[in-house]
Amino acid sequence: MTTEVYRESFERRTKTVRYLRFLEGLADTQVGPIFLGMWGTVALFSYLLSAFITAIGFGEQVGWNPIRLVRELPVLTLYPPPPSYGLQLAPLQEGGYWQIATFFLTVSLIAWTFRAWTRAVANGLRPTVAIAFTAALFLYAAIYIIHPISMNSWNEAPGHGLAAILLWTNHFSVKYGNFYYNPFHMVSIFGLLGSAVILAMHGATILATLAYNAHKEIDEIEKSDEGTHRAQLFWRWVMGFNATAHSIHVWALGFASLTAVAGAIGVIATGWLEPNWYLWGCRAGIAPGIQAACP
Amino acid sequence: MLSFEAKYRREALEVPPIPWLGMGIFRFWIGRFYVGFWGLVALFFGLIGSAVWFWQVLFVHPLDPRNPLLNFIRGQIKPPPPEIGLSIPLDGEKGLWWIVVVFCATVTFFAWMMRQAEIARMLKMGYQVPIAYGAVFSSWVTIQILRPVLLGHWSEGFPLGVIAHLDWLSAFGYRYYNFFFNPFHALGITFLFGSAFVLSLHGATILSASGKKAEGVTEENVNQFYWDFLGYSIGEVGIHRLALWTAVLSVLVSNLCFVLSGTVVQDWNAFWDFWNKLPFWSGFGFN
Repeated sequence: MTTEVYRESFERRTKTVRYLRFLEGLADTQVGPIFLGMWGTVALFSYLLSAFITAIGFGEQVGWNPIRLVRELPVLTLYPPPPSYGLQLAPLQEGGYWQIATFFLTVSLIAWTFRAWTRAVANGLRPTVAIAFTAALFLYAAIYIIHPISMNSWNEAPGHGLAAILLWTNHFSVKYGNFYYNPFHMVSIFGLLGSAVILAMHGATILATLAYNAHKEIDEIEKSDEGTHRAQLFWRWVMGFNATAHSIHVWALGFASLTAVAGAIGVIATGWLEPNWYLWGCRAGIAPGIQAACP
Repeated sequence: MLSFEAKYRREALEVPPIPWLGMGIFRFWIGRFYVGFWGLVALFFGLIGSAVWFWQVLFVHPLDPRNPLLNFIRGQIKPPPPEIGLSIPLDGEKGLWWIVVVFCATVTFFAWMMRQAEIARMLKMGYQVPIAYGAVFSSWVTIQILRPVLLGHWSEGFPLGVIAHLDWLSAFGYRYYNFFFNPFHALGITFLFGSAFVLSLHGATILSASGKKAEGVTEENVNQFYWDFLGYSIGEVGIHRLALWTAVLSVLVSNLCFVLSGTVVQDWNAFWDFWNKLPFWSGFGFN
């Protein structure tokens, strides 16, 4: 009985609904009601906790000087523990903050996935959005958890901060022999640029056939009408191939997921499986011009 | 032909051709492809460009004469050397074939854009697809033509080859110290990842609301889900506007990150020196 009362206290929607007038004619204007719920609470609470711990770490680094905080914000970093700690817990100032912040960030992302799942099911949809989100979650886990564990050191993970993420990406590539030679990275980039192409093609096609109601996609999948017909013929005449109102969304989900999943595999395979992607490129014989320099 | 196609083909031919663009006599179909004047232009220059590339990479400068697949992956046509500037070399060894292939590709891409516009017009659609294609075409023009012209030599263009262009991109980033510090690169990457994110959300959303197991599910279910989940539902039209803009901005911003490198900015790390030199820091006791 008490459990039910406890649960109900989280299951509420905001009562106020606002309207963003400046979006009129461009997109829907209604904001809210947003749902809180158990998973939303966990996600919000852990995310705030993660941000709070990061803020404490940053505050200590600038001696609690707010002006210094603003001035150094682009480069302030919560670093993971040094390699000597391996996978152990580290003291707060030596990466302990990073470990706690990362833990709560991970909890927050997992709770967010459950929120996407439960809200979809509660509103009569299948949990496809939550499943798609797990692809991004997989890439996150590969970078922040799986790769560090495979290399036996939390130091392998990126720090928390603006410049830190960019520097980690740069160093990670160089440290493991240039990621441009990582075949999974190639596939991931193919998926990423392909995503932009498919997104542009789909968005433009639907906007070009608004007059024929092609944007009513859920109905169009049930029974395609003039808008979808014109859109299909456009691509058929241009490039000899056309998707359907249903299959274009399969392409969409497939390409977007490929980006994250191939990227995650590329990160996981790095280090313990392939310590130097340039040398892999040499072995595979794909290093042009400089092939003679390969060992 | 699709079941409904014949009617639309008849209607498409009733749209009067633009005198110098439509070229009425080319308005016919081969199989499922529409031909048209611009289709023929694209086909002609596309075939020449591809033929020159394959001829150079597989037969003139093969890295391994017995292995065409390896030549395809590793082979390249290098841009002309810096000393010839912007002149047109008449010597294949000095980059003539790079100029030829880039020229053919540029004409092909332009013709392809015009072909999309022509077909959109015949189907009485908006011109959003050729406009979006124009954005990515502008990227090619910026990197291969505009930036080399600004810097005064063709050697600034990238080599035409599968792995070769990856090497060029990698080296390009470090040549200007580090591309990760290039703010327009960062913004471009943000829009690129944003594209994958929006694409994933949209694809997953529509798939979750359709199919046999989603009987009776309508737009309202999707709206209610997004109000619950994020507090905002952008709507059926809005999502496609967001889609087009995210994708198009990713290339337009990336154009900036290329064209500014070497012309205006030589070192993207030093570029950020302005931050610590902003005058108002001194007011707070920092120098």
